[in-house]
Amino acid sequence: MNSLRVVCYLNQFFGQLGGEDKAGVGPQAVKGAVGPARAVEQALGGAGTVVATVRCGDNYVAEQTDKAVAELLALVAAERPDLVVAGPAFLAGRYGVACGALCAAVQAELGIPAITGMHGENPGVDLYRRQVYIVETGAEAGRMLAEVGRLVALGLKLVRGEPLGPPAAEGYFARGVTRHVLAERNAAERAVAMLTAKLAGRPFASEVPLPDFPRIPAPRLLKTLEGATIALVTDGGLVPQGNPDGIEPLNATRYGGYSIEGKAGLDAGQYDNVHRGYDTTYVKQDPHRLVPVDVARELEEQGAIGKLHETVYSTTGVATTLAHSARMGREIADKLRQAGVDAVILTST
Amino acid sequence: MTPVAVMVGANRIVPAAGIIHPLGNTELSPDEEKALRRRIVEKALQALRTEVVEPTVFGGE
Amino acid sequence: MRLRLELRRSQVNALTAASATRLAGQRLDVDVDGLRAVLEGDPRLARLRIDLVHPGERCRIGRVFDVVAPRAKLDGSDFPGVLGPVARAGDGVTLALDGVSIVLTDQQAEHAAMLAVIDMAGPTAALSTFGRTHNVVISAWPAAGMGRAEYLAAVRLAGLKTAVHLAQAAREAEPDAVQVFELPSPARVPAELAHLPRVAYVFQIHSHQRPTGVDEGILYGDPVRRMVPTILHPNEILDGAVLRGFMGRNATTWAIQNHPVIRALYAEHGRTLWFTGVVVTVAHATEPERVRSAFMAADLVAHVLGADGALLTKIGGGAPHVDMAQAAAQCEALGVKTTLIVEDMSTDGSAEGMLLFDFPGMDALVNVGSGQHRLPFPAMERVVGADDLAMKLGGEMNATYGTLCGAIEQIGATNVMAVVE
Repeated sequence: MNSLRVVCYLNQFFGQLGGEDKAGVGPQAVKGAVGPARAVEQALGGAGTVVATVRCGDNYVAEQTDKAVAELLALVAAERPDLVVAGPAFLAGRYGVACGALCAAVQAELGIPAITGMHGENPGVDLYRRQVYIVETGAEAGRMLAEVGRLVALGLKLVRGEPLGPPAAEGYFARGVTRHVLAERNAAERAVAMLTAKLAGRPFASEVPLPDFPRIPAPRLLKTLEGATIALVTDGGLVPQGNPDGIEPLNATRYGGYSIEGKAGLDAGQYDNVHRGYDTTYVKQDPHRLVPVDVARELEEQGAIGKLHETVYSTTGVATTLAHSARMGREIADKLRQAGVDAVILTST
Repeated sequence: MTPVAVMVGANRIVPAAGIIHPLGNTELSPDEEKALRRRIVEKALQALRTEVVEPTVFGGE
Repeated sequence: MRLRLELRRSQVNALTAASATRLAGQRLDVDVDGLRAVLEGDPRLARLRIDLVHPGERCRIGRVFDVVAPRAKLDGSDFPGVLGPVARAGDGVTLALDGVSIVLTDQQAEHAAMLAVIDMAGPTAALSTFGRTHNVVISAWPAAGMGRAEYLAAVRLAGLKTAVHLAQAAREAEPDAVQVFELPSPARVPAELAHLPRVAYVFQIHSHQRPTGVDEGILYGDPVRRMVPTILHPNEILDGAVLRGFMGRNATTWAIQNHPVIRALYAEHGRTLWFTGVVVTVAHATEPERVRSAFMAADLVAHVLGADGALLTKIGGGAPHVDMAQAAAQCEALGVKTTLIVEDMSTDGSAEGMLLFDFPGMDALVNVGSGQHRLPFPAMERVVGADDLAMKLGGEMNATYGTLCGAIEQIGATNVMAVVE
């Protein structure tokens, strides 16, 4: 078996270019192993060689990720590696995100297996765990050799196409994707066994992880209501007649922004509703039953609120994936913030 | 579905008047409906003004 | 007096058309022509066809509506309230045939994409219970002007009549296995078994996401509209008191007749647990009804059945999933430990989308996989039960687990499981 060609990715610090002062340095490659890449080479044993170490400053990647990743990809591709090992990034956030982004691109664009490692609280984990195998490491580089050893072990399995065990066994973060298997016992038998264990106070393994939604700190309204601009948003499926933005009735990935400038209310004849998760008869008859433009306009005229924002944002909230929901929410929030909106009333069925 | 809103971490939650008419009620006259809608929106404004530290449901009708 | 159900099971390994219906060893002969003539007597049906399909044939059954297991009372009312007169189920001798199933097809539904299939060969056959049984496939066409509710009621009745007709063939036979189900009232626990944890089963038998029709009997023939939670003896469920309604993906009447949770609890009864009984509920369409149902079910479980633990299942989609969770949350609030069987609800294969609820105490969940997971179906040589779709259904298909009837059963009869990676 030929010795594997491995390329390592390191940031400016681990790549021995400097500290924060060098965080803006651009992508570059050197032959052979530098810094922790030497630990990678050691862990590879006879199985492979680190043919090159690619380095880049964390700020360079953070400030222009797409461009940086494209440049790094070119450097990686030039070495024709069988495996790319990035990091480990421990708790360094920009570094972790850069490692994740690079590994994702290496897999997707070059079709080469890639592996990285970082601490559970590194933002790179949540962003890339679905696409990239990320080994769990400690917070600091204290036990580099041991941590790198686990990265390399998993990386070798990926290259060799060997089946991986479950996340806990192999030491990587659960990717949060599901796969069907055939259990030995049927679900009813497993449930009785699980309940018996739970009643006896014995440990058991639930087959569904409980959702773990991050706590979102509640913003404070810094102005008085009388001085605030309030926007209306809905996931109840309101669209203008003809659904010009093609908002999907299920599994929505799109939303629309619709002007209410100068309007005292929503004329039922001009609107429709595409939501498939509830009977939309009544909100079609009177869209105010979903989006209270009439009442909001009155409150504006009476001075109870400073201003009603002139755009209503809408999408359909049925079987929408969490990923798309979060993305659409962020995008709408950005637009509202740029328009000077202070608060939102979101109406939902 | 307020339990779902609490679960995903929405901080200020005002229960609405029903799945098929969150801000209305077809059993009421148009004026009564609008008054109901106004009360719910006013409760929402009050919630916006209130400092909260975790998902908080602002009372039912 | 206590209920004692004696199930006499006969194994069938071969199925053939013949001049009379009889069980010869493990071969079941079926008088197809005679049976068809009887079933066609229902004025709601114009005509009817019966196909016999065997495991191993490269055959795909299409337009699958439901599957029924052959069962007949030696004495007593069959499928009381729907076929036979309303009478107690769960007592006495019932004949059962294993290895043969009755598959009902829906020849009226326009959007056949919503209907399931059963494959008799290939990897998909191995995934479904019914890919491995000999199947009596009933295709019935509606009489002119028949509405949906009447047609489906007629189809289901044809299935139940067939179930009885076939099982009656075992009347004189020496059964291959005899199972006795006997459970005293929860009030009569013998002292020496009083230390065992008491477990109840909360069985959601219908979801009113789609309300039942007048002829859509679910519980002793009652369409269970606005049903508040009530208690049944498990034998009643094993003996035809509960049927699946007219819509159900990942749920069959067959699975209810062979109820896996009830059988699993019976298997442990008197050993590791005391099975206190079954609370049946329906999933509601409005929040006030859902709330009422949840706390009433919990009261029955905790205060009437005196359970320490409860196992819960659901039927249907997202609202019943949340409905079941609310009932479980109420049970946990009363100190009853719960385990739920859930279907993975994710639409994009993500672990975070598996659940639509998060109540305290929901830490013991078993899953039956996701009906939305992709599943490739191989090409077949013959399509039965869906003449109009033979071209489309006969070739390779890229569909889902939910398309394969019998691959996923929400009450836990199947082994498919979603693992998170």
